[in-house]
Amino acid sequence: MISFNSGFMRWTSRVMMVLMASMAMPMTASAQMVGTEAVIDHAAAEQSRAKILSLVNRDEVRAQLEARGVSMEQAKARVDALTDEEALQVAAQIDQLPAGGDILGTAVFVFIILLVTDILGYTKVFPFTRSIR
Amino acid sequence: MCLTCARHLAGVLILALAGCATAPPPPELTSENTSAALPRKVELDAVPYFPQEDFQCGPSALAMVLNHAGVSTDPEALKPEVYLPEREGSLQVEMAATVRRHGRVAYLLEPALGDILEEVARGTPVVVLQNLVLDWYPVWHYAVVIGYDLERKEIILRSGREQRQTLSFITFQNTWARSEHWAMVAVPPERVPATAQEARYVAAVNALGKTGKLQEARAAYQAAAVRWPQSLGVQIGLGNVAYLLKRLDEAEQVFRRAVDGHPDSVAALNNLAQTLSDLGRDEEALGYVQKAVALGGPLQDIARATQADIERKLKR
Repeated sequence: MISFNSGFMRWTSRVMMVLMASMAMPMTASAQMVGTEAVIDHAAAEQSRAKILSLVNRDEVRAQLEARGVSMEQAKARVDALTDEEALQVAAQIDQLPAGGDILGTAVFVFIILLVTDILGYTKVFPFTRSIR
Repeated sequence: MCLTCARHLAGVLILALAGCATAPPPPELTSENTSAALPRKVELDAVPYFPQEDFQCGPSALAMVLNHAGVSTDPEALKPEVYLPEREGSLQVEMAATVRRHGRVAYLLEPALGDILEEVARGTPVVVLQNLVLDWYPVWHYAVVIGYDLERKEIILRSGREQRQTLSFITFQNTWARSEHWAMVAVPPERVPATAQEARYVAAVNALGKTGKLQEARAAYQAAAVRWPQSLGVQIGLGNVAYLLKRLDEAEQVFRRAVDGHPDSVAALNNLAQTLSDLGRDEEALGYVQKAVALGGPLQDIARATQADIERKLKR
């Protein structure tokens, strides 16, 4: 038999108060929603990463990197590891360089080589690269 | 023509444009390199004309496109929203913000004359920013492109005190290039601009939602979902707006579709879990949020916080 003594009643009312307070809280106060911008930025960064990778993958770039002892796996892994912000920044830099149709522009070519060697710690040309070493 | 319009914006804009002067000019537009599908000649006679008062090309250009997009307004009413008296002009960001305040999507076009022509061909007038003089003596001016003629290589504008101004493509390109090709359309939410690109359009609709125009943003995302049915950005945007509007059932449906199409999206999983939790279905939510946390990545912290919330609720 439960006896409704005053201690129990006090306990119940305290529990009720906590419950009611939590119910009264606005829905959004506890909500952990991912904002739309995060998704847009991420999608743009993925595109940038794909663009950088497609450049790194080109035969002339690959040949130069391999001649310097940089394996394609290393190079690709590092491009993948660029943060969204960095990938966007790099792609924006590439867009500003003069490009020439099918043939990779010299500026873009040099940029990509230096980007990868920067990331691998052989060079330090760009302010936005973090070396893995 | 209004030669002094927005002259005093020069200082601001020059700062923004500094260092870009060497950008190569866009290829000249000819009737050969435009889309074959474009009609040879278009003129949107229905776009109303509001002659500009001193320096106020911004409000008058906006009034023209907003009225065309179904908003009843005039330059006088828009002036306090967009016109900066001390600069005798209007900033581009304010132009876009004013469009949003009136519940329309402000979409900036790609810097291509072909895109302007395509929008006009599909019935949408385009606000453009021109520098009518030269870089070292800038005279900024907003005008509205309402038509073109590919044979005559002319563009047709409502500009300043001219109800119908024609400029050769070359002159227009030169004056427009000096503004870094700034061009904007103002469209009703249910109408996705013809040249819209997915990510840029989602960003434009997201900005509309941030202005507090949630119903309009919802309509715009719904239209975007027809154009890009697979787009994660559109689905997350639509779900988030539905959630904010407290249409939780709709948000659940949309996030579910996002999870089905993009099973590795932390955003989709997390937001579905949070929505289910708000619907009181924490058991179900927990499975989704656990997947989100396991995926890691830059959104992992949010997913962890969601998980903690849900676990706390389950313990009660």
